[in-house]
Amino acid sequence: MLEEPYRWVEAINNRREYVEDQLASGSPVVGTMYADGVLLLTATPGPRKLFEVYDEIAFAAVGHPADIEKLRKAVIDIAHLEGFNLSANDVTLQRLVSFGIGPLMKAAFDELFRSPFVARVMMAELDPDGGGDAFFTIDADGSFAQSGGAAAISGNAESAQAMTAQLQTVSPELPLDQALGAALEVWGLGRLTLDARDGEVPSAEAVRDFLKGGLQGLTVEAAVLDRERAAKSKFRLLSAEQLAEPLASYFEV
Amino acid sequence: MESCDFLDLLKERGLLPAAPVAAAEASLQPVEGTTIIAVRCADGVVVAGDRRATMGNSVVYDRADKVLIIDDEAVMAIAGSPAVAWDIARMLEMSVQYYRRSQLQGLSLDGKVRTLSRLLRQNLPLAMQGIGAVVPIFAAFDHAAAEGKIFFYDLLGAEFECVDFCATGSGAHIVRGALYYQNRWGPQPLREMAGEQAVELVLKMLETAAEYDTATGGFREAAHIFPQVVQVTAAGLNTVPEADLAAFYQGA
Repeated sequence: MLEEPYRWVEAINNRREYVEDQLASGSPVVGTMYADGVLLLTATPGPRKLFEVYDEIAFAAVGHPADIEKLRKAVIDIAHLEGFNLSANDVTLQRLVSFGIGPLMKAAFDELFRSPFVARVMMAELDPDGGGDAFFTIDADGSFAQSGGAAAISGNAESAQAMTAQLQTVSPELPLDQALGAALEVWGLGRLTLDARDGEVPSAEAVRDFLKGGLQGLTVEAAVLDRERAAKSKFRLLSAEQLAEPLASYFEV
Repeated sequence: MESCDFLDLLKERGLLPAAPVAAAEASLQPVEGTTIIAVRCADGVVVAGDRRATMGNSVVYDRADKVLIIDDEAVMAIAGSPAVAWDIARMLEMSVQYYRRSQLQGLSLDGKVRTLSRLLRQNLPLAMQGIGAVVPIFAAFDHAAAEGKIFFYDLLGAEFECVDFCATGSGAHIVRGALYYQNRWGPQPLREMAGEQAVELVLKMLETAAEYDTATGGFREAAHIFPQVVQVTAAGLNTVPEADLAAFYQGA
């Protein structure tokens, strides 16, 4: 029956609905540039969501943990093979996305007898050559987009749009502690927008009140690609102690 | 569970550099024109190497890097065929990075030592032909034991841990005696030396080796050629800057 074009389109649409539904409760991830590089921030109840892919490339995702692991492994494999056969300079975000993870997700999404990746991915690169985009986002169907100096992924489109809009007001030159605060506010906005059934964007006060109420069992997770780091690998996961002070004012009751 | 081994990944994609099979009358001829020294001191290990690369009687290069950084806490220093050695160092570095990134935890020191051993074993056919032999020293800081450690390898990949110091390459026999003397009858055992003193000592040892071994390069300020010296400490690796090395030679 799938040979009939109509059936195929219908099946793909069902699949899109299914994936959207599965992703709907995903905790948002915020990405922005700051004075010393690139910052990624989210809050999760469980497994880590921010990862290192290569010296200057980071990976974050919303979705099913097992699918996220598969994608992460795939993109790490590609990056290391390229880095080994050519050089670290040839491992660029643009190539990893448009020739690697993009087609991989698209293929899984289109082949109806395989399960699709239930995940939305954000990838970041520190100071791309030629001033390219620091962020790419890749949707579950494999469609990817460059997103300049800031990016957001979330459970639904309204939430991601609201976050992206607010990210435009965040300066890419903030020092890390201020950038963390700004990113947390954007995360809070994304989280509240997800919960708002009517798709209404909550006010800044509502976001602050929401954050003050605590994160209900979620833990803030943040990572940077820090160009000041001496080692070749620029990725650094921030510890709970490093996050405590810059974010303290947001959680006061 | 999926493999977490970078070498397996290379093999699976057919990218593992294949060593040709040894010829029938192959003979083992170690060609290691160089001097590499590693000394355990109070704050870790100091690893040093000269910069000369030779081919028979000719000096082919005077700026070869023989002390290669593997990650934040380990270095590999090489004597032997540079082409193979650099390839092995690269594979080791990539294996360590790949493991750390994919498994979300660092490869243990024992794991790194073992990986290098496997890489050497894999290189055996080339080594047997007398053209691709590599005899490395591997030095790392062992955070669990809170001390620096040195391992040396034979051509077949067997690893041995050194207690106080280790030297390899054609100039090794010259400095080995001098290091033994220093350790046994010097003002203090090598293990009690401060890092700076140990740096000074290995520079003196390299000069001693260069004096009696033609395949070991010396220090030439006019040409701006300095040995490579790396300190392996609890805080990480420190490549001693050329300015500091120059200052030492001026003071000596």
